[in-house]
Amino acid sequence: MRVGVEVGGTFTDLVAIEDGRVRVAKVPSVPARPDEGAMASLAAGGIDLATVADLVHGSTVATNAILERKGAPVALLTTRGFRDVLFLQRHNRTQIYDLFYKKPEPVLARRDILEIDERMNGQGEVVEALDETATAAQLAEFLGTGRYKSVAICLLNGYAEPKHERQLAALVAKQFPDLTITCSADVTREFREYERTSTTTLAAYVQPVIDSYLRRFESQLAEQKFTGRFSIMQSNGGRLPVAGMSRNAITSLFSGPAAGVMGAVRQAGLSGYGDLITLDMGGTSTDVCLVADGKPNLSGETEVDGLPIRTPVLDIVTVGAGGGSICWQDDGGMLRVGPESAGADPGPACYGRGGTRPAITDAHMVRGTIRAEEFLGGHMDVDKDAAANVFKDLSENLDMSLEETADSAVRVADANIVGAIQLVSTERGRDPRDYVLVPFGGAGPLHAARVAEELDISTILVPPNAGVLSAYGLLASDFLQYETLTRRIALSEGEAAADQVQTLFGEMLDRITRSFRDLGIMDDLTYSYSLDMRFIGQAFEITVDIDADLLPGMTAGTLLELFNEAHNRVFSFGESGMHRAEIVSFRLGASAAPEVVPALNEGISDKVVKGQTQIFDRGEWRQCVLLSRAAIALETNGVPGPALVEDGTSTIFVPNDWTATVDDQDNILLKWKD
Amino acid sequence: MAVNTVDQAVISQGLIAAAREMGVKLVRSAYSPVVREANDCSAALMDRFGNVVAQAELIPMQLGPIGATFRPCADLFPTDTLVEGDFYINNDPFQGGQHLQDVFLFSPIFFQGVLVGFGATVAHHLDLGGGAPGLNPDARDVHQEGIIFPPSKYNMDHDWNGGPLERLVRANIRVPDQTIGDFNAQFAANGIGGARVQDLCARFTPDVVLEAMDELLDYSERRMRAAISELPDGVFYGEDFLDDDGISDEPLRIQARVEIKGDTVIVDYEGTCDQVATNVNCPYASTVAAGLSCVKSVLTSPDIPFNEGSKRAIEVRAPYGSILNPRRPAPVRARMLSAYRAYNAVMKALAPTAPEKVIASGFDSTEIIVLSQLGVDGYQIYLEILGGGYGASNQGDGCDAVDSPLSNCSNVPVEAMDMEYDYFRVEDYSLVPDSGGAGRYRGGLGFQRRYHILGDNVTFATYSDRFRLAPEGLFGGADGVCASTQVLRGDEIINLPSKVSFPLLKGDILVARTGGGAGYGEPGERAEDDVARDLEEGFMSRAEAAE
Repeated sequence: MRVGVEVGGTFTDLVAIEDGRVRVAKVPSVPARPDEGAMASLAAGGIDLATVADLVHGSTVATNAILERKGAPVALLTTRGFRDVLFLQRHNRTQIYDLFYKKPEPVLARRDILEIDERMNGQGEVVEALDETATAAQLAEFLGTGRYKSVAICLLNGYAEPKHERQLAALVAKQFPDLTITCSADVTREFREYERTSTTTLAAYVQPVIDSYLRRFESQLAEQKFTGRFSIMQSNGGRLPVAGMSRNAITSLFSGPAAGVMGAVRQAGLSGYGDLITLDMGGTSTDVCLVADGKPNLSGETEVDGLPIRTPVLDIVTVGAGGGSICWQDDGGMLRVGPESAGADPGPACYGRGGTRPAITDAHMVRGTIRAEEFLGGHMDVDKDAAANVFKDLSENLDMSLEETADSAVRVADANIVGAIQLVSTERGRDPRDYVLVPFGGAGPLHAARVAEELDISTILVPPNAGVLSAYGLLASDFLQYETLTRRIALSEGEAAADQVQTLFGEMLDRITRSFRDLGIMDDLTYSYSLDMRFIGQAFEITVDIDADLLPGMTAGTLLELFNEAHNRVFSFGESGMHRAEIVSFRLGASAAPEVVPALNEGISDKVVKGQTQIFDRGEWRQCVLLSRAAIALETNGVPGPALVEDGTSTIFVPNDWTATVDDQDNILLKWKD
Repeated sequence: MAVNTVDQAVISQGLIAAAREMGVKLVRSAYSPVVREANDCSAALMDRFGNVVAQAELIPMQLGPIGATFRPCADLFPTDTLVEGDFYINNDPFQGGQHLQDVFLFSPIFFQGVLVGFGATVAHHLDLGGGAPGLNPDARDVHQEGIIFPPSKYNMDHDWNGGPLERLVRANIRVPDQTIGDFNAQFAANGIGGARVQDLCARFTPDVVLEAMDELLDYSERRMRAAISELPDGVFYGEDFLDDDGISDEPLRIQARVEIKGDTVIVDYEGTCDQVATNVNCPYASTVAAGLSCVKSVLTSPDIPFNEGSKRAIEVRAPYGSILNPRRPAPVRARMLSAYRAYNAVMKALAPTAPEKVIASGFDSTEIIVLSQLGVDGYQIYLEILGGGYGASNQGDGCDAVDSPLSNCSNVPVEAMDMEYDYFRVEDYSLVPDSGGAGRYRGGLGFQRRYHILGDNVTFATYSDRFRLAPEGLFGGADGVCASTQVLRGDEIINLPSKVSFPLLKGDILVARTGGGAGYGEPGERAEDDVARDLEEGFMSRAEAAE
C-alpha cells in the first residue's frame, strides 16, 4: 500500500492507494502537534502500517517554526565586519510611503552572531587566512555558553570557495559534537550575502525542529510495525527519503502547495495535458503555478515572513483571494476583496460562528452558486440568511441589489486571481491561452471558468477528489534534489566557456549522484540542467533551460542563442554581441520517479443527481442544471452550461457557453465555445 | 458613460499591475548598478493627456512630477502628431526635469491607430558626460553636469537603434554600454506597459478603458481630499537647514508655510534661501515631488494609488530664483539634499496638527558615494546611494539603516562588488551604535561602510548632508547623530566635508558613516524592556543608556 499524509493548517488529508483502489480521509489538524493529526488520519483511514510500503509526508512544521519563531536557538558565524548583514538587509523598503516602516525581523538576535577573522575575494582566493587556533578559542567562549542548539556558518564569498566554512564547521564539530551545523555552501551556493545568510540561518533554525519532529514520527511508525520507505515532501515539488532531511530541512517549507501542483500535474498528465496553469483556491488564498510540458516552473527565490530564501522552489504565486476573503468598500468607493480573510475562525458569516463581514463564500451562497444543503458534501451546516444579512450594508452603499453585490464581489475576486495568473504567465513571457487551467481546492472549480474567460483560456480540467489533491501529489511526486553554484563565465571566452560548463556540470552531477546513492537511490536518475545568465552589467539573471541531449555538443554560440530567446521573451529586447553575455549560476536537478504512479480516479461517489437550481450570474438570475459528477458521465454529448456540478468537497460552475464532459481518467473537462 | 463597478475595479487593478510590471522589468533588465541594484528608476502609465494614472512604487522623488516633465514635450510636439515608434525625451531641469541623470522617456500607446495613453519610465543614468565620471561636485553650472536632452520628440527606427540620437549619446558618455543598455531597458518597459494597456482595450473597448482611467484619477483625488478634510483648517510653519553649499559654512534655510483649507493643502516655500553656486539647487519639479510625497505619506494610508488625481488637492509653490526653484543654468546634481529639507520643513509644519501621523526628522539625506578609476580599458565607476536612520514616531523606533524617505534604493551587495570591482574592497558594513536620538521611541541607526582602496588613480566623489546640523528630535526626543566621512591614510585621519571630490591612494581606508534619526517623546518615558534590548543587542552603549 502507498499512503500520502498531508498536514495542512486546518485539515490533515490522507490518500491511500492499494491495487488501484483509492481511500481518502480528512481529519482536523492538531496545530501544536502535527504528528498527532497525521496519526489520527492513518487511524481514520483504517491503515495498517505494517502493510504500507511507501509513506510520504508533507507538513507545515518548518513554515510554522519560522512564522511563530519557534525554531532552535541558533548562532551565526560570519566574516569580520559583516555581523549586521541580517539587520541591514537590502536597505530598501517594500512600502515606499510608509513612515512607520519596519524591516522583517530576523530569527536571531545581534548577540547571536560571531565575527571570524578571515576573508575570501570574489574569485574564491584567500585574502586573509583563517587562524584555526585563535578561532577555536573564540568558538569555545562563544558557543560554550550552551545557549545554542544549531550553528549557521555563512562567510563572505563562501559561495565561491567554501574552504573556510568547512574549516569552521570542523572546529565547531570537534568542540561541540552535539550542535547541528549548517554551512551556506551546503544550502545555497549563490552570491548576494544577505540572501545567502538569511537562507543559511533559516535552514539552521528549522533543522533541529524537523530532526526531532521526524524522529518522533519515525518512532511512532516503528511502534506500529512500519517497515516501508518513509519520505518527505519538499517545496521544489519532489520528495526525499527521510534521511535526506538531515541536511535539507529548509526544503520542506511550503511543501503543501507544491504537493498540490504535483498532484494536478500527474492527474492532468493521465489525460494527456502537460501545459497547465494550476489554481488552488482555499479558505484564505489562491495559489497559482505555471506548468510547461509537465514540469512546473521553478523559482530560485522565495520568502517566508519577509525573510528571503534562495533554494529552488516551485514558482507559486499566492494572492489573497479565498472563500474567506472579505468583501469591502474602500474610502474611495471602490469594491475590494481581500487580502483580509475571515479564515477558518470565525469564518464566513454563513458558518454561524460569529463572522459579521461578508466573505466570498457568503457571496456564493447569496448568488446560489453554493447551496447550503450540499456544503462540503452536506457534512457542514451553513446559514444562508446570515450570508445575505452581511451583504446588506455593502449593497446599500454600492446602490445595488444583494445578489448584484455578491456577483460583483465574486468578479472582483476573479480579477485578483487573473492578476496572479498573469504574474506567472504573461509577465514571464508565457501566453496563458496555450495552457489548460486546472482548478482544485474547495473554491477553485467555482471560479475557474470565469477566470479562464478573462484570460482567453478555452479548456479547464477538474481532477477527481480535488479536495485531497495535495495528499495525492505526495504519492505522485518524484525523488528530487537540486545543486546550485554561482560561477561567472563570460561567453566571450568561446569554446573555453563551453568546456567549463561541461566540467562544472560534470562535477555537480558527481556530487548529486553520490548524495542520492547515500540515500539508497541509484537507478534511473533523470537530470535537468539550467543556467542563470545575463548580459554583462545586468544584476538579475534569466534562467535558461538546457536540454540534456544538447549538452555534450554545447557551444558558446548556442548558449547565446538560447539566452537571447529567453531574455526577449521576458523583457522584449535582446542583444547580439557574444562579448556582452555571461553565465552566473548553474543549477542541476536530479530526480528518480517512484516505482508506481497510481491514478486518483477511484473512490468517487457514483451517486447520480440531476435537478434544477437558480443562480445569479452576470447581472441576472438564471435557471441552471444541477448535477453530480457521476451524472455528467451519463451525458454522451456533455452538459452545456449554465450548470452546477456538486462534487463532494467542491462545486464546479459551468457558465453559459461552456460544456462539461468526463473523460476516461474521470477528469471533468470544460470547453469554451469561443 | 459610467464604467460599472466591477469593470472599474478590474481595469484599475490591471493598470496598477501593468505599471508595477514595467518597474520590475526595468530594474531586472537594467545594466548599471544604480538602476539594477539600487532601483533608482520609476515607471508609470499615463492617459492620453499625459496624466499619470498608475505608477510602479519605486522612487517617490521621480514619481510626483512625471506629468510636469511630459507637458513641455507635448506643448512642442502635440500628441496628435505622434506616430508608432515615436517617443518623447526630457531631462532638462528647467523644463520640468529633475537632475540630468534622470532621463524621462515617454512612448505613446496606440490601439487600432488611436492614441490611448503613454508608457513612461525614468532611470538614473550612471554617467551622462559632464566634468567628471558619475558625479562632478565642482560643477558651477548645469552644463558641467552632463548632456541636456531638452523636451524633444524622436523615433525609435529613425533615431535610436544605431540612429543619430543613439550615436550622439554614445559618443558623449563614459560607460556607453551600460548607459545605452539602460535606455533600451526603459524603452522595453514602456513597450510592455503599452502591450498591457492594449490588452485591456481589446477586452473592454478603448472607450471604457479611457473612462476607467479618468475615474481612477477621480478616485485617488476623492481619497486624498477625504484624508485632508480630517485635519482642522489652519496655517502651519516649519523650517530646516542644509549644512552648507559645499563652499562656505553658511547653513541654508528652507522654510515651508503649509495651509490646510477644507480638502486642499497649499505648501508655499516663501522665505527659503536664494539659489546657490553649487549643485544643491533643487529644480521646481523636484520641489513639488518633495512637498507632495510628504503630504501623501503623512496624511494618507499607503494604500491610495498615487497619481495625477491625488495631486489635484495639493498645490506647491516655490519662489523663482530660490534654492527650490532655481534659474538656469544653476547646477542641480545634488538636488535631493534640498528636496529633503523641503520635505522636513513640511513634516515639521504638520507635527503640531498631526502628531500621531508625523515622524521625527531622520538622516533624510541622499549620500552618494562614487569611486571611479580610469584604466587602459576606459572608466570603471562604482556609484552607491546610502540612507541612514529614520526618525522615530509615536508608534515605535525609527527604522535602522534604510534608504531615506524620498528615495528607495537597495544596497549593492558586497559580493556583487567583489565580483565586479578590483580597485577597492568593502571590509566592514555595519550599524553605528548610539547614532539614533534617544526618546520614548529612539531614532533609527545609521550605518557605515569601510572601503579599502586596492588600486591607484582612484577618485572619490560624494555629496551628503547632516554632517554638522543634526536632525531635530520631536516632542522631547533627542537629536540624531551626524554623519561623517574619513580617510585613514597610515596614521593620518583625514576628515572630509559632506560635498567633495578627493583623490585616494592605494592602501587608503575610506569610512563613510551615515547619520541616525531623531527620537520622539521624552527619553525618560522609554520602556525599560526597550532600553534593555538596545543594550543587550549593542544598539546602544551603556554610557548612552545611562542618560
